[in-house]
Amino acid sequence: MAHRDPRRLSRRQFGVLGTQVSGAVVAVLLGIPIIGFLISPLFRQQQAVWRKVGDISGVPDGEPTKFEVTFPQGAWTTAENNLAVYVVKNGDNTRVFSNVCTHMQCPVRWDGSLHQFLCPCHGGLYDINGANVGGPPPKPLPQYVHRIEGTTLFVENRFTEEI
Amino acid sequence: MGRRLRAAYDWFDERTAIRSLLRKGLYEAVPVRGAWFYTLGSATLVLILLQLITGIFLTLLFVPSVTEAWQSLNYLKEHDAFGSIVRGIHLWSAYILLFVIGLHMVRTFFSGSYKRPRELNWVTGVGLFVLVLGMAITGAFLPWDQAAYWTAVVVTNIPAYTPFIGSFIRALWRGADTVGPITLSRTFGIHVWLLPAILFPLIGAHLALLRKHGEFGSYINYRGAYRSREGVDVPPAPAQRPIEPPYPAAPSDELWAAPLETEDFYPHQTVKDGIISAALVVVVFVLAVVIGAPLEAIADPATTNYTPVPEWFFLPLDELLVLVPQQLIPLVLVLPTGGVLLLLALPFIDRGPERNPFERPAVMVPGAFAVLFVVILTLLGSGRLFNL
Amino acid sequence: MNALLALIGPAFHALQTQLPAQAPQGNNIVGAQIAIGSLFSLHILIAGLVSGAAELGPAIEFLGYVRQRRSYDRLAHGLGRFITYYFSVSSTIAILLITVLLVGFWGHFWTTIVTIGWWPLFIEAWTFVLQVSLAYLWYYTWDPLRGFKGVHMAIGGLLAIASFLQVFMIDVVASYMLTPSAQNPIRLALNPTSYPLTVHRTVGNLAYIGFAFGGFCAIRYLRAKTAEDKRFYDWAGSFGLLWGVSMTLLQPVVGYSYAKEIQLHSYGSWYKMMFGSLSPVFLWQITLLGIMFLTATLYFARRLRTDQAKGSGILKLLSVGMVLTTLLAAQPYALGFSYETVAAAGLNRPFWEGGLINPLGSMIPWKVLALMFYTLIAIAAVVWYLRGLPGVVWGTARRGEQRILMLMTVFTMLMMVTMGFIRENSRGPFLISGEMTIQGQQDVPSTQPTPQSSP
Repeated sequence: MAHRDPRRLSRRQFGVLGTQVSGAVVAVLLGIPIIGFLISPLFRQQQAVWRKVGDISGVPDGEPTKFEVTFPQGAWTTAENNLAVYVVKNGDNTRVFSNVCTHMQCPVRWDGSLHQFLCPCHGGLYDINGANVGGPPPKPLPQYVHRIEGTTLFVENRFTEEI
Repeated sequence: MGRRLRAAYDWFDERTAIRSLLRKGLYEAVPVRGAWFYTLGSATLVLILLQLITGIFLTLLFVPSVTEAWQSLNYLKEHDAFGSIVRGIHLWSAYILLFVIGLHMVRTFFSGSYKRPRELNWVTGVGLFVLVLGMAITGAFLPWDQAAYWTAVVVTNIPAYTPFIGSFIRALWRGADTVGPITLSRTFGIHVWLLPAILFPLIGAHLALLRKHGEFGSYINYRGAYRSREGVDVPPAPAQRPIEPPYPAAPSDELWAAPLETEDFYPHQTVKDGIISAALVVVVFVLAVVIGAPLEAIADPATTNYTPVPEWFFLPLDELLVLVPQQLIPLVLVLPTGGVLLLLALPFIDRGPERNPFERPAVMVPGAFAVLFVVILTLLGSGRLFNL
Repeated sequence: MNALLALIGPAFHALQTQLPAQAPQGNNIVGAQIAIGSLFSLHILIAGLVSGAAELGPAIEFLGYVRQRRSYDRLAHGLGRFITYYFSVSSTIAILLITVLLVGFWGHFWTTIVTIGWWPLFIEAWTFVLQVSLAYLWYYTWDPLRGFKGVHMAIGGLLAIASFLQVFMIDVVASYMLTPSAQNPIRLALNPTSYPLTVHRTVGNLAYIGFAFGGFCAIRYLRAKTAEDKRFYDWAGSFGLLWGVSMTLLQPVVGYSYAKEIQLHSYGSWYKMMFGSLSPVFLWQITLLGIMFLTATLYFARRLRTDQAKGSGILKLLSVGMVLTTLLAAQPYALGFSYETVAAAGLNRPFWEGGLINPLGSMIPWKVLALMFYTLIAIAAVVWYLRGLPGVVWGTARRGEQRILMLMTVFTMLMMVTMGFIRENSRGPFLISGEMTIQGQQDVPSTQPTPQSSP
């Protein structure tokens, strides 16, 4: 047998390597778009919108009152979502709470007999200032970024702090 | 006429080798004693197939869009009695499937069927359990009624408690920060394509491994059962009964390699499998017709008087969510994840050859505790739900 | 059946008008409460054992049949004998209570609760009939049915079911007193604390009988004359303790869930137990639980050590863990009588800020963590003891182990009396929360503290 240069690929080695490389090429070309597709919505900025809630002059002091606000659902759909909003007035101070529980995001409601916000899923309790005072919720009730023009309340689809 | 049929069969057999395939499949040996307990695996398979078939037919009507999902199902409910039954079968078969798969898992756990050489059978089985659970959860989102919507909100929120990457995982599943159209589309794709694409090959692997090593059965089928701690001599092997394939399982020690008594899979085991599976399907059918699949009011994110109620198989986790205080919420993720990891590791923790559950309490007792905890949490959770 | 109720209802109403609407007054009320309290405690101490034995005995017989071990059969037989001896004692006390003491002292309450809880009490009466007949049948057909073990075990199984149903029914009535619900039978059986109490008591009865016969077998071991008896009593004592610990380690999760339901549906009672006048007793209870787990772990370590079996070292380590956990659980939150008194004195600040609060004693998260550790360490102790058991030679136990078993029995009884005391007093001043007071037995509107009025 003539002396072979060990740095040269044998026929077999070429076959093995070629199979692996072509497989890798297919995987990469397929993988990049798919992974990009999966995670792209996370980098899409949510469009900030302001929506009118309504006239809050009739809201009594110290009595959380439910209003509904309509926000876009996002993506391609034109159908919009109604969301619940609790307006709490304390003299000049007005707070606008979302009813999304900070535990598992169940719908919170104001319970007059307990004088607290109650989450029915796991018994979470928030006081009239939104502080989490009972049960598993780890954070206070989220508040919407809002502005009041005269007696009309406007709300942006953004919380003052992330939950 | 008979001769023509046989000739046709021979023609077919020459080209497909169907005869030897059937002989291998149907006339394999299975253990005799306790055979009724071993029907749970095939019952699980039948219910999964029922899901596949009813699911396929449901996709002929259901539209996975936030504006049309509920409408399409409501249309089915109002105008299509037979379609409603199909949907009812799909729901009740799912509920009963989760129960039967639990029974199957408990049976194989206590009988020690996961021991050498069948460890991978157990591992694929745990994978199947997790996938079936995933199918049940993702399927629950699809109707987009109140129950579905709030299930979607709460369930997609659970991974958010994973440290560091939690909100990323939640956003990945939801396709945005809140539950919306992308969530429904993604979940539909996961439920109809992604998970089944993993589930069915895994079922294939599970069955192939079963065929390779043979159905183990339980300790009552083996000579090893006659050994006790007092060191009584094992009776000699019974006078020569041929050991039929797939036995003896290799490698496996002599006392647990081949059952004492076997019979043909077809028709002796298949009739038992058939009776149990048929009974379950009858129950599913009756429930589908009498109760059917409920469709609540359309999803209303602004509601303040709806109480989200978990599916029955979620009750233990829900009770845990009630009990665990806010400083310890990651426990709600740690316990189920840890549980699944322990299950996967089981064949590698319990490696001894003993199969009698009463002779290996060090593994069986913690397993019994785990089952008891889940049962107790379910009971407490269901009691709580009556008093909301 | 409705006809029967229609007949009995008016009779009760008539009886109600005849009986004093007022409870005993002044010193008599204390005397009456002491009489009823001590008789009820005695009843529970025996009845808990009877229920536990009726459920555990058949299970042990079944296990013995599967494993072909005569010692299991002998143990189950012994439990059957216990039931036949002591059933009538606890029933007599119960009958005395319900027909004389309750009717005499708190007649208005008694007729009210019997009317409301008619169905559960009616079913319970029949489960007693079943229990008594099956218990005697099970015990006395032991030898005659030796060749028909299947039939005999079926009788045992029915006995266990009857026993469980009896506990369930009385718990429906007892839990209604704490968390009343709407009065239709379904809502009654599903009142907020019905399930937690039933699970808690069923698991507790099973634990109690285990610890009780553990102690009993310890005494018998020390008095045993033959080698076979010594082997049996040594094994049975260990079995009882193992069983007791296994059931007890389920209790933290059940107890916590029970307390959660009380918090949600009977806030005043919950407040009294956690922050108010019963909180020192509640603190004692969680400490005693740790002491019980510790005692059991020490037994496991010692018993394995006696025969040089493997695992004794790990169990000693687990004992240390149990000591630390108990110390954590025993931390008082309020360094005074109770949080209520400390808050009233304006001293609810951490002690390094001049107050009387010890943050390490807070329920959340410290005591919750302690409860979890109790359970986890106990599971580990049970597992390692079981792993070491093949190295144990029955009949060679030393006196120390037997003393520990007897101590466990005493601790268990102490625990049961403590829990009964807490239970009955947490509901005060009500007999039926929010509806009927102890003092007046009048139906009253609720004046209980509610979440918004508490700190």
